[in-house]
Amino acid sequence: MDWKGYTVIYVVLFAFATAQAVVEFAGLVDSAYWAAFALIMVLSVIKAVGVAAYYQHLRWEPRAVTYLVLGGTVAALALTGAAAYSIL
Amino acid sequence: MSQEHEHGLPPKSSVSRWFLTTNHKDIGVLYLITALFFLVFGGVLALLFRLELISSGADLLGSMGYNQAVSTHGLLMVFWFISPFAFGFANYIVPLQIGADDLAFPRLNALSYWLYLFSGILMGVSFFQGTTFAGGWTMYAPLNTPAYIPGEGLGATSVVLALIMFTAAVTLGSVNFLTTMYRMRAEGLRMRDIPIFSLSINLTVWMMLFAFAALLAALMILASDHILGTTYFQYSIDGTTMATDADNPGASLLWAHLFWFFGHPEVYIVFFPALGVMAECFQTFTGRRLVGRKWFIISMVLVALQSFVVWMHHMFLTGINLPIKTIFMATTIGISLPFDLMVFSLIYTMAKGRVRFTTPFLFSLGALILFIIGGITGVFLGAIVLDYQFRGTYWVVAHFHYVMVAGATALFGGLYYWYPKITGKMYNETLGKIQFGVYFLGFNLLYFPMFIAWETPRRVFVYPDGLQIWHSMATAGGFILGASFLIMFYNLFMSLWRGEDVGPNPWEYATSAEWAVSSPPPLENFPGVPSYATGKLEFLDDETVTERTERAPGAAAHGHAATDGGTATDGGAVTARAAATATAMEPAHETAGEEHASHASFWPFLVSLGGFIAFLGLSGVRTGSVFYLSLAAVGGVATFGSLVGMTREPFHAPEMAIAERWPFERVEKMKLGMWTFLASDIVLFGAFIGSYAFVRVAYGWTAWHHDLIPAEHVTMPGLINTYLLLTSSFLVVLAMVAAERESKRGTVAALVGTFALGVGFLINKGLEWQHLFHISTEAFPNGWGLSTNIASSTFYLTTGLHGAHVTIGLIICAYMTIRAWNGAYQGDDRAIEYFGLYWHFVDIVWLFLFPLFYIL
Ligand code: HEM
Ligand SMILES: [Cu+2]
Repeated sequence: MDWKGYTVIYVVLFAFATAQAVVEFAGLVDSAYWAAFALIMVLSVIKAVGVAAYYQHLRWEPRAVTYLVLGGTVAALALTGAAAYSIL
Repeated sequence: MSQEHEHGLPPKSSVSRWFLTTNHKDIGVLYLITALFFLVFGGVLALLFRLELISSGADLLGSMGYNQAVSTHGLLMVFWFISPFAFGFANYIVPLQIGADDLAFPRLNALSYWLYLFSGILMGVSFFQGTTFAGGWTMYAPLNTPAYIPGEGLGATSVVLALIMFTAAVTLGSVNFLTTMYRMRAEGLRMRDIPIFSLSINLTVWMMLFAFAALLAALMILASDHILGTTYFQYSIDGTTMATDADNPGASLLWAHLFWFFGHPEVYIVFFPALGVMAECFQTFTGRRLVGRKWFIISMVLVALQSFVVWMHHMFLTGINLPIKTIFMATTIGISLPFDLMVFSLIYTMAKGRVRFTTPFLFSLGALILFIIGGITGVFLGAIVLDYQFRGTYWVVAHFHYVMVAGATALFGGLYYWYPKITGKMYNETLGKIQFGVYFLGFNLLYFPMFIAWETPRRVFVYPDGLQIWHSMATAGGFILGASFLIMFYNLFMSLWRGEDVGPNPWEYATSAEWAVSSPPPLENFPGVPSYATGKLEFLDDETVTERTERAPGAAAHGHAATDGGTATDGGAVTARAAATATAMEPAHETAGEEHASHASFWPFLVSLGGFIAFLGLSGVRTGSVFYLSLAAVGGVATFGSLVGMTREPFHAPEMAIAERWPFERVEKMKLGMWTFLASDIVLFGAFIGSYAFVRVAYGWTAWHHDLIPAEHVTMPGLINTYLLLTSSFLVVLAMVAAERESKRGTVAALVGTFALGVGFLINKGLEWQHLFHISTEAFPNGWGLSTNIASSTFYLTTGLHGAHVTIGLIICAYMTIRAWNGAYQGDDRAIEYFGLYWHFVDIVWLFLFPLFYIL
């Protein structure tokens, strides 16, 4: 990927970060908390995937590297999810 | 390959050799000896409290003495003895079995060892800081926090820090072993074909990589509660019930979750290497290949995966809900199934082969029998209703000693099995068998009565009168078990002189590659490059290798390097690339074809020594004592200086010319090492974020923001920092592009920009924190500091950990900027790419911290 591609990614990341703050400034967090929560987290996930796929070049690496990363992520999510569920 | 034999290392008879070595076999020996030392340490403690338990009551050690002995016995055995003992073999044997000349990162390997040793010394020192940790090896909250520890509690803090140091060693080791096993297998050696011991180690390190990251999170949080005054594991109750009136209702369950998320995989981390040894010994001494080998391997993989989803069977008596208990009962019973398969496979192998009852076989068979008893009693515990009875009793104690010490039993078998390989001498077989007899008798006399006296509460020195006879038997058994080791030490020590010399293979049917070379093997392991391409082990000479790498363009594309010490291959682009790569993060004078680079390094020792001093200092800084403060400062400077020294030291460990690398063919070793490390870092941060989510859920997710966080905590500083980090990530990518295009100015400019933005990030954060520390509002008259409440604790610690990552990144960035200024990286951007992997990861973490801590 050349610098132009990287720049496009950068602009998108910047815009999404701004969008997250806008959700808050617009008062959505107060009026519809869980909708805002979902929206903001989805934006974060998209940003993270973007950084990993393009800036960290996971797109061009063997899939095994992605699985390695997913392994860690799934472990962390399992811990968080099951632990939180256990006290609901 | 055999010109320069000793790689700049002094001979083994010289003491300095052992401080300088980075060779996997030397380090393996160091691990074995050190681990045995900790076995004796932990064992003596156990004998002490077994003496105490001859009669009910704490009349010998006193109550605090008893609690300390029990707790540190557990910690020493689980952490400092059993896994390091297994990793002594792993270090020595795995490279030999897979056809590598060393681990992928020899100096990191030495660093792992020294961190391990010094962590153990720190553990020892803790005994002299008043009292050491006395809250049980599981370190349940809140008894693990200073407020609940009698006295100053500095010894307890040292134990926590020692565990952190140990965990650092384990993480480095996991990265190292994984990289080695995926990048350095002999040609033709598929993953599924590697000898079963190495395979068991492979799965062990996978579990370690993730499980120890969770433990690290737990320990860092605990250390922060001790040293910085956060309040994750503490609570006060101003009403009537914990659930509704505590200021941090998640406190003690949080520890249990974090600890057992690590702890259950840990029990398999302990057991898997033992399983590997058992399988090797069963094969060798029955003269048969493992029956159902494929299924054995599939079972191991299944267990390794499942081990991460059974942890709550340690929490059946806590306040977690019934549905989740039921799920975890099911997964627990599920995990015993693959184990059954493995047990049957071993039994059939024995039944079908012709058994020769040597000492290693006896220990392996003994281990199997003990494991079966331990496993069956474990299934009892996995049933919720039964566990309601058994929890916290000697049933549990008996169960886990039957399984854990079964593992140790197999490892002692491994010690006999590989003793001739490591020393070149044969041990005395008769004494070996006698030891086994005494050991097996002592073991069962020690632990079996505990099943009968199961009603004894564990970790308590009083028990009902009627049970005394069983406890006396157990104590007698303990001393018999201990005595059996005297026989072993005598045997192994004397055999160093009196033992018969052995050739490459003293065991008739041993087939794995370590038996194909002399005992002990030469420094570089093999007389050529090992290859299984023809179906059996061969050693290729340099010419063949050169020819092959030149002929196969594929090999060049993969960046294969010239082998170590031999005639350099064509020296062209391939070699240069590989050489630069091998040291991308430890840049120094790497020139292609630099032969016989020294493999001696004093830095790993110094880094660890510095770390030890720093941690010892940290254990006491909360007292404000000048002594501890200066230790912390001196240690910190020493660690940092040694790390810089280590980075600048020329050290050359090129990749193998020809190797089997599925599934990471195109990921050269620095990159794979970095990714593996990042995977564990994901779990570390994941566990931090998970902890935050957990205590917030426990408190009440939405009430949290309103109750605990001041209005002054606004979004803006977080947003600005998001912009700063995103931009800096972008600049790192540009630095890479510039280096690729050989624009020195561009590279330097982009790196300087990255650095500046990172510094801006930290300054902005510092200002924000200062502001929050000193607010004075109605709700928070004394500011919003680390100890104010659980929300402030999670905020400062989680973003603080992230800030520490940024700081480390900035140090590396500064170093690279200077190198770029001096002309490095032009046309070869890989070092920048690897730094970028880390930096982008830090960026990604922030992408989640920002919304979680600033918006939601
Ligand atoms: C084979 C199937 C196994 C099952 C179903 C099983 C089940 C259990 C359960 C349910 C407990 C919790 C008991 C309680 O605290 O109330 C437990 C404790 C324990 N198990 Fe196992 N286990 C098995 C194998 C193993 C193995 C292989 C090891 C280690 C090599 C092991 C080591 C331990 C340890 C150390 C504890 C005690 C933890 C503590 O200090 O509280 N178990 N086991
Ligand atoms: Cu368990």
